[in-house]
Amino acid sequence: MTDATIEAPHEHHHVASDHEIAARAENLKMATWLFLASEVVIFSVLIAIYFLFRLEFPERVKEVHETAGVFLVAINTFLLLTSSWTMVMGLRAISKDNRQGLIQWFSFTAVLGTVFLGLQFVEYNTLSAEGITLYGDSFGMRFYAPTAFHGFHVFIGVVWSLLVINHARKGGYSKRDHIGVEVFGLYWHFVDVVWIVLFTVIYLL
Amino acid sequence: MATEQLHPETTQPAVEEHGHNDNVTHLFGRVIPLPVYTVVFITLAIITLIEVIIAELPSGFLGTVLLVGLSGIKAVLVVLFYMHLREDSRMFAIVLIIPVVMAAISVLFLATIPTGNY
Repeated sequence: MTDATIEAPHEHHHVASDHEIAARAENLKMATWLFLASEVVIFSVLIAIYFLFRLEFPERVKEVHETAGVFLVAINTFLLLTSSWTMVMGLRAISKDNRQGLIQWFSFTAVLGTVFLGLQFVEYNTLSAEGITLYGDSFGMRFYAPTAFHGFHVFIGVVWSLLVINHARKGGYSKRDHIGVEVFGLYWHFVDVVWIVLFTVIYLL
Repeated sequence: MATEQLHPETTQPAVEEHGHNDNVTHLFGRVIPLPVYTVVFITLAIITLIEVIIAELPSGFLGTVLLVGLSGIKAVLVVLFYMHLREDSRMFAIVLIIPVVMAAISVLFLATIPTGNY
């Protein structure tokens, strides 16, 4: 009987070279930018529909602005801007091989995103109590569609951040390879940019 | 100690250095100075505050132009510094700019159509 051992194919771990990691990162980032470009088109349609209504019925929009006020939404804007900052700080942490720092900063991001959603819920309740509902008049759908669609993106972002945190807790990501963190960062900052536009077009103008 | 890495855009080897400056982190071909992120964040917060003040003041066309301009500055700051478009491949910028320009032209076109005709 021979003493030979059979080595399973999966035991030959392929260690990715720097070149392979860099190429993979570029491909993933390009795919993410293409996805974000498609998101630009969707949000543009929703914003355009509101903007054209705004041009046609400025008095109705002015009424809503006077009813709702801008305070709560301004707080939400600050929250989202802060979450973008915590996001880049998390990315910076993992780029220094500080996995614990990544987890802490991304936890802040997740909390800020959750509070944003909570305040958006409060805002919707306030508006609803004032008679501004989805099917109340021609304003409702034009207002709720872009803001709620954006809120859905924030929700996805919060879930995604928790997944990133969970992966990091299990030892995932390193200074050498953290493209997963970068891709999520692109998504979150894009959601922030969309809010910057929505905040101006819907709440300030 | 210097280790050889590849720049994502040029695929040319880039040199990474460690431990010389705690305020600067070197990624794959990318340099992230800590103060830049925080300065951008503070700038965004101040611009937002200015926007809210302008919106609360009685203002006409000038106020609208200011709000749109300030909003544009905020969006560009996030895209350039937080999304790293400033130093990433220009192809990413092209992928983003094309739909934005197309959407802007489409909206301006629709806005010129007289009320009730669409």
